[in-house]
Amino acid sequence: MKKSALELREVTKIFQKGREVVRAVDTVNLTVEQGELVTFLGPSGCGKTTTLRMVAGFELPTGGSITIQGKDMTNTPVNKREIGFVFQNYALFPHMSVFNNVAYGLKSRGEKDAEIRPKVIEALKLVGLQNTENRYPSQLSGGEQQRVALARVIVMEPNLLLMDEPLSNLDAKLRLHMRTEIRKIQKKLGITCLYVTHDQSEALTMADRIVVMNKGKVEQIGTPFEIYSNPQSLFVADFIGHANIVKLEIASLSQESITAKIPGGTSFTAKALKPDVYSATEVLYHVGKSAALIVRPESIQVGAAQEGEGIFPATVVSSIFVGSHIEYELLLKNNATIHASVPFSTGMEIYGEEASVSLTFDEQNSAFLPA
Amino acid sequence: MHETNAFRPTRKSLMKTDPALFSALVAVWLSFAIFIFLPVIRLLITTFYVDGTFSLANMRKVLGTSYNIKALYGSLILATSVSIAGTFLGYIFALAVTRTALPRPLKVLLGAVTILPLISPPFTSSISLTLALGPNGMLLKALGIGDFSIYGFLGTWISETLTYFPVAFMVISAILNTMSATLDDAALSLGASRWRMFTTITIPLSLPGIGNSILLLFGASLADFATPLILGGHTFPVLPTEAYLMITGMFDLRGGATLSFLLLVPALLVFFLQRMLLGKKSFVSVTGKNGARTEFAKLPTALSVFICAVCLFIVVFILYLYAIILWGSFVKVWSVNNTFTLEHYAYVFKHGQKAISDTLLIAFLSTVIGSVLAVVIGYVAQRKQFFGKRFFEFTSMLNYALPGTVVGIAYIIAFNQKPILLTGTLSILVAAYVFRYYATGIRSVIASLEQIDPALEEASMSLGASSVRTFTHVTIPLIIPAVLAGMRYLFIHCMTAISATIFLVSVRWTLLTTRILESMTELQFSQASAFSMVLIVIVFLADALMLYLLKVTTSKFHKPQEISYEKVGA
Repeated sequence: MKKSALELREVTKIFQKGREVVRAVDTVNLTVEQGELVTFLGPSGCGKTTTLRMVAGFELPTGGSITIQGKDMTNTPVNKREIGFVFQNYALFPHMSVFNNVAYGLKSRGEKDAEIRPKVIEALKLVGLQNTENRYPSQLSGGEQQRVALARVIVMEPNLLLMDEPLSNLDAKLRLHMRTEIRKIQKKLGITCLYVTHDQSEALTMADRIVVMNKGKVEQIGTPFEIYSNPQSLFVADFIGHANIVKLEIASLSQESITAKIPGGTSFTAKALKPDVYSATEVLYHVGKSAALIVRPESIQVGAAQEGEGIFPATVVSSIFVGSHIEYELLLKNNATIHASVPFSTGMEIYGEEASVSLTFDEQNSAFLPA
Repeated sequence: MHETNAFRPTRKSLMKTDPALFSALVAVWLSFAIFIFLPVIRLLITTFYVDGTFSLANMRKVLGTSYNIKALYGSLILATSVSIAGTFLGYIFALAVTRTALPRPLKVLLGAVTILPLISPPFTSSISLTLALGPNGMLLKALGIGDFSIYGFLGTWISETLTYFPVAFMVISAILNTMSATLDDAALSLGASRWRMFTTITIPLSLPGIGNSILLLFGASLADFATPLILGGHTFPVLPTEAYLMITGMFDLRGGATLSFLLLVPALLVFFLQRMLLGKKSFVSVTGKNGARTEFAKLPTALSVFICAVCLFIVVFILYLYAIILWGSFVKVWSVNNTFTLEHYAYVFKHGQKAISDTLLIAFLSTVIGSVLAVVIGYVAQRKQFFGKRFFEFTSMLNYALPGTVVGIAYIIAFNQKPILLTGTLSILVAAYVFRYYATGIRSVIASLEQIDPALEEASMSLGASSVRTFTHVTIPLIIPAVLAGMRYLFIHCMTAISATIFLVSVRWTLLTTRILESMTELQFSQASAFSMVLIVIVFLADALMLYLLKVTTSKFHKPQEISYEKVGA
């Protein structure tokens, strides 16, 4: 049987702050396959960094087990785990040259100078930093420091590459560039990687799979596509892509879909999501009670006011022209606020404040979750 | 939902999880037990234990003497006056340097002159005040004042104020410098006058510094032993000198111990107050990001003129006092026969050679041992978690918080009998210095570690380095400047301090400072001056060397750091 690169079983971390008990990480389960890049995504304080630090061995879990390459490493000290950790602020040794920074781990391992030199040069070449060996970290730009931090880790050929918001200290343009750069290197080396970020677009563009965390718990694990199109909780829906969440009264329901009443209008049918795989639709939803309709701003069409099945009458609160799109803020008849992002094309009508419009939601890209 | 206690961390013994920390803690606690707890406990036993039972007899006896009551009263009055006057002067100097239009060279001169009292032996200002204003005083003669006595409260007060105001200057100028200059701009742009800005912004924001300075100076003056011994005279007794005289003059160890206990109470009180004050984060330091760095607004003109006048007067007076010492060391008999001679220096190098080499050896050993301990204690206290950490920190600072006289008396009581018989040895002197003055080193190590991201050490560990390798290859190189800064003060203290070690010197091991004291009590003023000059020059050279090393080590990657000098031991 093929060994997983990493397995977390019921991993839990409890901090005791005075009398307060904080479950920073709560029974997290995860299996990561060889060569996968998995991002941990969530707001600050959701436990993603603590989870990463437990995998690294900087923190010991209060409960559960961590298995790396088939070996139980739950209580193994960090310097025996053969992992590579890239820090948010790079943590380059300021008193060592770039060469000595990259060579540091190899020297700790006791390798000979003759073997170290070519490896260091090769690693620096891989991150695109030839001929900087003799410089000091303070003489490098933020992006270059980030590359050195990466080279320092990959030169060790670690079992796991752990990255803690590695791009958050870079400016926006460099960040975009480094994303693809890191992904390229990771694929080239086939190295398994855990990547912590609070930036959803970073997670969506880089990851094979995303682990969305909130308040210490895993909300959802899935590919970027699954996470985006099939959010399993209101939190995930809201956190990824800022979906509109509208509470509607359920008119009828089937195994797969829900039909809900549109305020001051007809009805709207979309698929019913089941966050709890064991529960049937009837357990999660009830006719006459409300369900949360999830619809993304880009799945809404804004048109002139008209009547018809599945049409949501609304009033424009504001409309902002941002070039490629028009950003609408709209008010439904039940006073729910809706954001819509409509691609702009020449000749298109832009509705002004107070205008009455009708909204059409793309049924394929809408879904209900338990309210 | 899981039960909370199902996840209670399994408490493994520290010996297994972190053997290096475990052995370090054991070693440090052991040294604390011997050199901090044992002496204090012995002191308390000597004070409160008579014939095998708890008794207040010693206390009653000591407090029954009106002269001792007078000494207690004198100590408190003196400490209060010195802390107020010294803080006032320190504030004036700090304002002159940070908030006036004084030309830069003059500001540098102000700073340099305030360093002088810090690196001088504690007698310096007493000696020169005696030479200037004492019997046959030069200044008295020049001013034609006949009937004046420097001995008593006035002389002691002036001398201690001059000795300790530089500490106030350092503490307060640090806080004045860290204030955000944009606050000044904001006040002025809101229509405040410069006076209003000064009274409503500058003064309130510097209150923490003022409070800290008053406490520091109170403690320093309370503990000062050398100044009142020379200038106090019979009319103005204070506790440290009375305790000293009781032990060396009347061989009354119990009486001395009891007197020093009286001293211990206010000293500990001040120590706790200061820790509370520093424990609260000063709101000045959290001003956040400064925009464009602007200059501090200048003070109102009248105030500036007043401040500069005071500074000028004090600077001239200090320079005058030092010139007197220099001059005094070159004349035959001060004020009586003012012919130039080198005989005092000849005497110093002939008969004082042992004192010089002893002092240097002791200071060197204490500095090295103290620094190693300071690094270990500072590192453990800042980076590690373990049971009893707060108590550990408190204990490490205890000897520092206690007046030197108390420590000295406690040491002779503790170590003049078996099992640990150290009286008359080099070790007792070194131990007294180490456990008293490594405190500055501990603080600078802690301050420096607070600046260093733990991620650097984590990075080292995650690259496979052991915790020992991480410590030697990453942590140590990064805190070297802080260690050197701590060593610098440790060395200065070891060269100049006297209050604790006066009880511990012997025929075998003697110190320059005690030689100065002997010369003074034999009224050999010129000899005392020569000894003082030699001491000042040695300290100055050593200090220059340390500063040079600091500069070399900080050049490449360290930001220059100023270690705040929080307390001067007497």
